[in-house]
Amino acid sequence: MKKLLQSLFVLLFIATVAMAQDRTITGTVTSSDDKLPIPGVSVKVKGAQGGAITNANGKYSVNVPAGATALEFSFLGYSMQTVVIGSTSTINVVLVQDSKTLSDIVITGVNIPRTAKSLGYSVTTLQGEELNKARETNVINSLAGKVAGVKITSQSGTVGGSSKIIIRGASSFNSGSTSNQPIFVIDGLPVDNGSQQLNTISTSSVPQGSAGSDYGNRAGDLNSDDIESMTVLKGAAATALYGARAKNGAIVITTKKGKKGQGTVSVNSSTRFDDVLKLPDFQNEYAQGVQGQYSTGPNVQSGSTNGWGPKISEVQDKTFLNFLNQQVTLQAFPNNVRDFYNTGKTYINSVAFEGGGDTGDYRFGFTNTTQSGIVPNEKLRKNVINFNAGRNIFKGLDVRTNVNYVRTVADGRPVQSSNNPNVLQPLIYGLPRTLDINLLKDNWIDPVTKQQITLTPARNGNNPYWIANKNNFANVVDRVYGNGIVTYKPLEWLTISDNLGTDFYNEYRRGTTSQGTIGSLTGDFYTANLYNRVINNDLLITADRKITSDLSLKVIAGYNVYDAYYRRDLSDAQQLTVDGLYVFSNAGSVTTTNTSNRKRIQGVYGDIGLSYKDYLFLNITGRNDWSSTLPIANRSYFYPSVSSSFVFSEVLPKTTWFNFGKLRASYANVGSDTGPYQGAFVYSPISAAFAQYGYGTTFPFQGVLAFSSPAVIPNLDLKPQNQASYEIGTELRFLDNRVTLDFTYYNTNTKDQIVSLPLPQSTGFSAALKNAGSVKNTGVEIALGLVPVKLKDFRWNIDFNFAKNNQTINLPSEITSYSLASGWSGLSIKAESGKSFGIYGVAWLRDGNGNLVIDPATGLRKTISDQRLGNMSPDWLGGINNTFTYKGASLSFLVDIRKGGVIYSNTVSSLRTSGLAKETLLNRGNIFIDKGVVASGSTYIPNTTPVTSMQDYWSQYTTTNTEANIFDASYVKLREVRLSYQLPSKLLQKSKFIKSAEIGIEGRNLWIIHDNVPHIDPEANFFGTESVAEGVEFNSVPSTRTLGFNIRFKI
Amino acid sequence: MKKFIYTFSVLTMLLTLSSCKKYLDINKNPNAAEEIDPKLLFSYATVAYIDLRTSGDLYIPMSLAGQTLSNGGNNPTGWSGGDPDAQTYVFSANFLNNSWVTLYVRAGANLKQAIKLSEAASPANNNAAAQCKVLLAMATYDITTTFGDVPFTEAWNPSILYPHFDDQKTVLQGVIGLLDQALAQFDESSPLKIGKSGDTAYDLFYGGDIGKWKRLAKSLKLRTLLTMVDKDPTKATDIGAIATAGTASLVNAATDNAKIAFVDVAGKRNPKYAISLQYNGGLNFFFASKYVTDIMDPVVPFPVAPDPRLPKYFDKPSTAAKYVGVVPGADAVNAANPRIAATLQSPAAPEVMFTLQEELFNEAEIYARGLGVAVDLTKASTLYRTALAESCKFFGVSSTDAATFANQFPNFTTAAQAIQAIHEQQWVDKMDRGLDAFTQWRRSGPEGSEVPALTLPVGAPAGGLFRRYEYPIVNEISANPNAPKTTIKYNVKMWFDL
Repeated sequence: MKKLLQSLFVLLFIATVAMAQDRTITGTVTSSDDKLPIPGVSVKVKGAQGGAITNANGKYSVNVPAGATALEFSFLGYSMQTVVIGSTSTINVVLVQDSKTLSDIVITGVNIPRTAKSLGYSVTTLQGEELNKARETNVINSLAGKVAGVKITSQSGTVGGSSKIIIRGASSFNSGSTSNQPIFVIDGLPVDNGSQQLNTISTSSVPQGSAGSDYGNRAGDLNSDDIESMTVLKGAAATALYGARAKNGAIVITTKKGKKGQGTVSVNSSTRFDDVLKLPDFQNEYAQGVQGQYSTGPNVQSGSTNGWGPKISEVQDKTFLNFLNQQVTLQAFPNNVRDFYNTGKTYINSVAFEGGGDTGDYRFGFTNTTQSGIVPNEKLRKNVINFNAGRNIFKGLDVRTNVNYVRTVADGRPVQSSNNPNVLQPLIYGLPRTLDINLLKDNWIDPVTKQQITLTPARNGNNPYWIANKNNFANVVDRVYGNGIVTYKPLEWLTISDNLGTDFYNEYRRGTTSQGTIGSLTGDFYTANLYNRVINNDLLITADRKITSDLSLKVIAGYNVYDAYYRRDLSDAQQLTVDGLYVFSNAGSVTTTNTSNRKRIQGVYGDIGLSYKDYLFLNITGRNDWSSTLPIANRSYFYPSVSSSFVFSEVLPKTTWFNFGKLRASYANVGSDTGPYQGAFVYSPISAAFAQYGYGTTFPFQGVLAFSSPAVIPNLDLKPQNQASYEIGTELRFLDNRVTLDFTYYNTNTKDQIVSLPLPQSTGFSAALKNAGSVKNTGVEIALGLVPVKLKDFRWNIDFNFAKNNQTINLPSEITSYSLASGWSGLSIKAESGKSFGIYGVAWLRDGNGNLVIDPATGLRKTISDQRLGNMSPDWLGGINNTFTYKGASLSFLVDIRKGGVIYSNTVSSLRTSGLAKETLLNRGNIFIDKGVVASGSTYIPNTTPVTSMQDYWSQYTTTNTEANIFDASYVKLREVRLSYQLPSKLLQKSKFIKSAEIGIEGRNLWIIHDNVPHIDPEANFFGTESVAEGVEFNSVPSTRTLGFNIRFKI
Repeated sequence: MKKFIYTFSVLTMLLTLSSCKKYLDINKNPNAAEEIDPKLLFSYATVAYIDLRTSGDLYIPMSLAGQTLSNGGNNPTGWSGGDPDAQTYVFSANFLNNSWVTLYVRAGANLKQAIKLSEAASPANNNAAAQCKVLLAMATYDITTTFGDVPFTEAWNPSILYPHFDDQKTVLQGVIGLLDQALAQFDESSPLKIGKSGDTAYDLFYGGDIGKWKRLAKSLKLRTLLTMVDKDPTKATDIGAIATAGTASLVNAATDNAKIAFVDVAGKRNPKYAISLQYNGGLNFFFASKYVTDIMDPVVPFPVAPDPRLPKYFDKPSTAAKYVGVVPGADAVNAANPRIAATLQSPAAPEVMFTLQEELFNEAEIYARGLGVAVDLTKASTLYRTALAESCKFFGVSSTDAATFANQFPNFTTAAQAIQAIHEQQWVDKMDRGLDAFTQWRRSGPEGSEVPALTLPVGAPAGGLFRRYEYPIVNEISANPNAPKTTIKYNVKMWFDL
């Protein structure tokens, strides 16, 4: 696309350059980064009429009239350079790339390029360069801290794990891949970003069982090496033309294309190392046991894996039976948890071949990622092939195709969350402090009996090495996405193009649990085949005419067809006969379920754009969609948008301190549909009845099958959901562009929410489908760029970004609250009128003055259920990015800040109730009276009852006590550090072979500078990326810190 | 060039024209049915119901907190292994949620829908509707005896989103109402029913025998009245009326027992068995409760024959002379304490909902207490012995041994003695039926005089014995503005429990 724009500009200049004569200056213009000649550079004569354009070899020849003082070289994407004309008749120029100028062209709705200054809404573009310096395996993560108003949350430290992206606050009550997540668009093709969580054990809405594994989200398939630029469209006006799917914003990606000129080969190689970012603070003074006793007798193993046993220093005169039945003296192993984890390793190697001529271009890229995780046997391999080629068939007719094939193979994905014997995290964090991890590592399987060696004689928990070595949760994704674009220009001002694309993948998942695993002693496995396909076609007709010399009109008409199909086959096999053989005929019972759904949308849309003198712009869009998912009477909906931009600096007198000023405003109204098949009362076949611990009855049973009424009361009169939003903003540049400021205020109100209103289940239903309630998000976004130092060779850039979002829920009066999602133990994420999404649950009971109320019988605190415990979302987010460049060297570091919101941690609860956390040392063995009050008639008096033991005291921090495990989720993180050095061209010229080379050191998530949560990284989320809910941590694999180095060169 | 323009235009037109309406008419769910036979809902409700009653959500916590089982304390292969559990009154929120959801949604809602479909059919399938009503009455009885005051009159109504909670008396009265409706609706002459000829499997209870359904309904009504009568003595009249009408209309043969067997195939086994298989290498997790063995194997042995059910209930270690159960919550010793018998909780063991002996014990109680009839200790004694013998036979004892055991009990001499003995044996008979035994215990006497006289399990917090499940917060309380917000603790008695 960049190429296309360059050509357009070439044409423009040819037309406007006038001719004059005096003397001739020639030369070559090359690019600073790849040292290649740049065709199409505008060479303007300063102080007189005249100019030229460089040819395909970057050469120019310009006639300079007498009185001319200098030549100005300008080219899109490069800083303008002025060279004083001397006596020489040859002037060679090296242009330096300027990402700021390049981003002047922004790809907006349905692949329509626009100049940044014409936009009436806020956009942010990240260049591929930016994404490739410190490469993330999940490209979404590289947005963290860089774009105001964009919140990134990664689910876990799992290799290839998923990341959630929310732009300007969640707008919907619902979960689902399109409910709150932005749409991803690659070269005009909307692609899937699902992250499916399959519950194999029940119909629960909470991810559990095998659903607890983080299988990643599909945006993780995107390869940063193939990305030319990534634009974040935040507001509805920006996205109005994509239709309803873009109501939560859009991530618009353009892929790299071959550059005109000599063919090049680019190589980018990264090696990175991961380790755990934050481990719990453990106590190292007490052994396992109950109320200070190791076990019931001197020759009995301890039945506990906790820290409530004897003080290690006080029992050095005795020996105890360890898990291998050896009499040992107790000793703490402070690093036993740390030593369980490996150093993860990542190798990302990519090579791209590209080139192009006058009538076509090509680029072929291949990237291999090989990664091993911090958990033993966790690994991932990803191979991506990308092919992008364009060709001019004859004058006016161009074709382009972009095809990507991605294959991801992952093994050993740790199981998180709950209700599966393979849940790993609590086994590791729950290791007694006296356990030697190396002893455990070598003793997880009995060499004779092949039985598992467990930590306790009760065999009531698994050895983590058994889980990591014997059982495997794996997946394989084969995905192809790509499109073909035919563009025809029958007239100079008229373009007709059609963009037909598809994105489909098959994901195969298999989770195996071997015989002898506690909780599934007879072994089991499940497999899932997920197939997803999107077909999208956009037909666009564009007319672009100048009406007068000052007024231009651009009209776009489009027609869109979208079809999404999904199919899933899921089989669960129980009771294996031969150990380790995971085929269905080896299983005592197999339950298979299958489902599929299809959704279609048709849309027609139009866009009328007016521009006056290149400083006043107005765009009006309208789109009408017809969705298959809504009742026939309501399935058509129209939504308009209007946006305007005024570059007021163009009409002001030029000053040196004020360079650019723009005001922008937009309004949009977007309708949206719902999921398929929600309008009829249907009975679904049931594969199994539920029973606790996963041993319910499968059908057919005694010869009978079973069906069930729907869980959700369907609604035959659903209306489309409606989102109205407006946005105003300004962009200002001062002091030779050394100070830039971008400010935005937005207001988005999503009404008539199509919600699955959770019902009390005494209704016989779990939810009712309704149009009810609204979510209003208002906020400001500020991006401030400073160049405090700018010398010949040295430059210091600081970019600040800040975003604050206020969310307000409005529910109809008959609905007091709406539960968005629920975790276990009485915790739920709810919406309440007048408030934002919050976490609710069991809280400490307090008197009128906020004192804790204590039960005088036990000395322990009293609790009360269903209390609001904090906001799910942060109050504000910020980022500070510093970049220092000195000649070819560049150092940058990014600090990412989150303020506000809360997180619930199950891990912290377990560490405390089990007596393993450091804080549980406090008052052990002493009499402890909790500070609080006890009821005395109608008043309260100070508590004087001591707790029976600190084990009892900490047991009230159980997972069912939500408030006890709620923390402020704020953090300040050193998100990214990069040091890169571009080898001087002089050095390379000698080799003649290498055109450019750069080496770099990269670090990600290096340091939590500040946080308020003990033991865990506050950035964790056990709800999947599709869920609206977040702020809950449940046995998550700890996040990782990454350090690596990178070599890039071109030949 | 012109040809190209032409082709391009035609293609464009085609793409646009494909927007005919049919393209969007794809919103019919290919994975679900819009019309079905009500038997398919009945079968799901039935299996969900029995799974709940045998499972870790209702069976295990109720049995532990109700002290019909012992968790084994710190015994490594016991249920608890030293961790807190329902025996010490620590209840996972999941137990409460799942029990509520199964009874209201998986069982209740499907039965309500099946009733609607059966009655709306032409001709109406009255037997199917009545069969569903009986099962719904059973589920409702379980809901209220588990949770106390619960939604009933406004429950299962899609137009009432936030049902009010009814007091327990109203709910139990509703149970009786459902059973009366069913009794009036059953039509033995009609071939239409769940479990009709040639398709008997779908009636997992009785294979389509409507006579048995009617007797079950009448016995369930009597059971409900007995649960209410202590709090509401006016129910004695109705009890008397049923008793005097004769036993022909009540469950009166072992073939009338309401029980559904599991199947010894993976995924279809009795969950009681499956849990021990998957988590404990096939060894039963649970130990005999001392309260049960004190009744079955008393210090002073029975004069003629020991309780022949002992080996059917428990696997006694060969090293132990007597059946000595474990004090609930205390540490069990493998060499001394019996576990629940492998044969009792076998893979195909049935879930039992109502038995002949239960009916006979109930009748014995009516005559011993003189509920709506004159006190008749002789009749009560006879019924008691018959009930005991039936209980023995139910658990696999031979008729001869059952008779020998039962007949050694002389006639009762006082009503108090009779009532005590009947309650004890009712409780023992229901040992393996968690909630049912717990309800039996709660209604066996006012607080402090229940049979047997339970005390707090070892390790349980002070504050009174277990009396109920607390309401589920997530699935009901926090979603229902009409629900009581203050926690009603597990140790608070409900309406029927004096």
